[in-house]
Amino acid sequence: MDHRDEFISEAQEIIDGFGRDLLVLDATLKSRDGNRGPVQVDPEIVNDTFRAVHTLKGLSALFGVARMSTLSHHLEDLLDDLRLGRVELEPKVLDVLFRAVEVYGQILSALRAGEPEPQRAVEELLMSLDGAVSRGAGTASNPLADYDLDPGLLGVLTEYEEHRLRTNLAQGVGLYVLRVKFDLLTIDGALDGLKTKAKPHGEILTYLPSGEPGDPDTIELDVLLASRQTLEVLRLELEAPNIQIRPVPRRVTKTPPAPPLVESEPPQTVYGGMEPRPRKTHLPSAPMADEPPETPIGGAMVRKPSKAEEEQAEGNAQVGFGLSIRGVAQTVRVDIRKLDHLMNIVAELAIVRSALQRMTDRVRADPELRSLGLEMHRLSRSLDRHLGDLQGGILEVRMVPLGQVFDKLARVVRQISREHDKDIHLVITGAETEVDKLIVEELSDPLMHMIRNAIDHGIEQRKTRLARGKPEVGTIALNAFQKGNHVVIEVEDDGAGIDEQKVLTQAIRRGLVTEQEAATMLPRDVLAFVFVPGFSTKEGVDELSGRGVGMDIVKTNISKLGGVIDVQSEPGTGTKMTVTLPITLAIISALVVVVAGRRYAIPLASVLEALVFEPWALRTIEGREVMSLRGQTLALCRLEQLFGLPSPVTEELARRFVVVIGAGAQRLGCVVDQLIGQQDIVIKALGKSLESVRGFSGATELGDQHVGLVIDAPALIEEAFTTSDGRHAGRRAGSEV
Amino acid sequence: MSDESGARERGALVRRAVERGARTEYLAFRLAEETYAVPIAYVKEILKLPPLTEVPRAPFDVMGVISVRGRIVTVRDLRRRLRVPEAAPTRRSRVLLAELPTDLPGGGERVGLFVDEVLHVHRLSDTEVESAASAIGSDLAEYVAGIGRPTRRDAGDAEMIILVDVKNVLSTTSRGLQGPSRALPVGRG
Repeated sequence: MDHRDEFISEAQEIIDGFGRDLLVLDATLKSRDGNRGPVQVDPEIVNDTFRAVHTLKGLSALFGVARMSTLSHHLEDLLDDLRLGRVELEPKVLDVLFRAVEVYGQILSALRAGEPEPQRAVEELLMSLDGAVSRGAGTASNPLADYDLDPGLLGVLTEYEEHRLRTNLAQGVGLYVLRVKFDLLTIDGALDGLKTKAKPHGEILTYLPSGEPGDPDTIELDVLLASRQTLEVLRLELEAPNIQIRPVPRRVTKTPPAPPLVESEPPQTVYGGMEPRPRKTHLPSAPMADEPPETPIGGAMVRKPSKAEEEQAEGNAQVGFGLSIRGVAQTVRVDIRKLDHLMNIVAELAIVRSALQRMTDRVRADPELRSLGLEMHRLSRSLDRHLGDLQGGILEVRMVPLGQVFDKLARVVRQISREHDKDIHLVITGAETEVDKLIVEELSDPLMHMIRNAIDHGIEQRKTRLARGKPEVGTIALNAFQKGNHVVIEVEDDGAGIDEQKVLTQAIRRGLVTEQEAATMLPRDVLAFVFVPGFSTKEGVDELSGRGVGMDIVKTNISKLGGVIDVQSEPGTGTKMTVTLPITLAIISALVVVVAGRRYAIPLASVLEALVFEPWALRTIEGREVMSLRGQTLALCRLEQLFGLPSPVTEELARRFVVVIGAGAQRLGCVVDQLIGQQDIVIKALGKSLESVRGFSGATELGDQHVGLVIDAPALIEEAFTTSDGRHAGRRAGSEV
Repeated sequence: MSDESGARERGALVRRAVERGARTEYLAFRLAEETYAVPIAYVKEILKLPPLTEVPRAPFDVMGVISVRGRIVTVRDLRRRLRVPEAAPTRRSRVLLAELPTDLPGGGERVGLFVDEVLHVHRLSDTEVESAASAIGSDLAEYVAGIGRPTRRDAGDAEMIILVDVKNVLSTTSRGLQGPSRALPVGRG
């Protein structure tokens, strides 16, 4: 991976995280629910966004991505003001920040394509940055003066920490110091545990070594906690043998809500004795990486670094030289092409393995070599197992959570719903469901389109919703779950649904069905028309709730991934689109068959069953061959005819077979000459020049240098049914037979 | 065959070519009884014909697909484009692996071109190349970049070499697809 790729993927990760944080902030803003009080946003998240942009600034400057660096620089200023409370978090500020996520994305895709960074988008964003900001009045009073805080402490607080301290005090929150003693070896976990425990009760502002001499294997920290709880509650909740809590006394005893002064220790000892204490251990740690690295705990650095130093340290840490050694060591960024390469090697090995297996069988068949044969058999089985593990391991590495796409979609929902002035509640489940990285990449466009359609045309305007007795806020559910070897993704809305009658009218007008046929069509089949290319024209948009817009493209993209899409709709109640995808594209099990002397692989995921072809069971309905399977009619497809191959002379073949393939709810029986067996195959793409050949999803090596084509079952089914359902197509084909 | 050994093979051929000033190098090959050539810059590798898998319903000039070190490569038949009579492959048959620069239409994809036999490398100057338009007026003209007439030849070398316009041949796949050939298989059976 060259440096630019590395930069892109690292930047992408940071931007994704940034986007996620913005969504959380957005949710917080929304939860305010009309009451116009000050927003209680999680300060840590605001701080995270600041850090993300700060890191981006450093990274992009390092890699000479100038516009990104400029943009980050300005955003950083805004986010710094946000976290320091100089700017209030408002929807319009968030709008700009969300826009920034988009622009960052544009810059990265331009870089990927080797194009210059988009200039206009950045400039426009920079303009709107200035417009969005309304600086609040600086906090006038100085509540710090009321507290007996060591001036030495105030000197070492970062600007941010000081801001948080002021904010808490201004809100009348009490201050406590927790003196905690941790074992040096377990400090990371212990500190995290304390943070988690303390979080419901308040905010940890900072922590510093206490400077008390003690056991060389332990370290004593003073943790400054802002909390509204009483001392008693905190003691009950947090105190432990190694944790002691005491309040920070107020200098002037004003009225509460200052915490009661139970103990009166001399205040200067709170942060007293902060002389550097030599200690070898410098504690690099993953949890530390999450925290601003300006809070050293090992005692090696007791003096707080200045803000400039803090920035530098932070930059270094993020670029990968600095503090977060553990984080670097435990994850590796890998180019997906390298994994493809490994996959190719595994496939080659699998071919070697089957050759070995054949040899073993030959040796075993020789009575004189029996013991040797047995040993070979054992070895070959062991090889088999390990090869399987290796394959599984590589596949696992390729898996990423769908959450990556869902985050992007959440941003889209926010953006489009604001554009349309519709309130939409997005409910996501199963974001942790994992699929192959390549599938995730290819999914974002189709899903985005489905969501856009749901908002544009599914969810009604507020007034209409209220009139129909629905909640004012529309809901879009995005659900993902695993189902066997497949992943199912549902996009469901509680909008207007699709009017079947209107779809039918349109279908008749476009000559897709006759009126007689329309009368007897099942609702399922009617809805399938929205996937017909160009079905929904401009004037159709309103009539059909616009569901056809680009749905054919969505369907094509999904089938390219070996998936199927299904639509269900209840007029007035909503629409549900279901996408079913294979978990991985890289290696699949396939059934190898022979048609007219040529070998083809059918992905096992699409094979429902295989049976012996019995010519007497054959019937013809409207010029199409069908057979009866357990009381149901199964349409048949003669592959050699469809593919234009020479027809085998049936008499010569003892028997032929029917492989039943399925996609969604549709089934098709493919007549083949021979079943060779099941085989794990690596699907490889056909070149660009064969892109538009229908019926095949790729090719694979079947051993002995021979290439076999992989049948694209969903495409085949679709083809078989469109040429029979669409009457005109069926007639034309029929007349030529 | 690796790229290096391909280069060696070309190197040997180059030595036979006439050395005179700045010229374009063409790899000459035989289709039926005629000599054709393509700029050698586009040829990445020369292969013996591996087992070929035909692709049903592919464009009319696609012979099939082969696997080259794990990559699936489409092999196209120049004879069908250039309307040259087809004979069964012999032991002299070769596949030229050609690739256009990614910025050209049809570029970036490695494509195999079937030829009946690989001949020499010729270095032709502009004066030795006649423009196609003046040479042939048929609809084949778009696949022919010009006619090469090498002034110095070894015994047995062709007097006339038809220079194939690789860019046009490789970039017009989609045209072949959308032509009548695509509709054909639907009616079959």
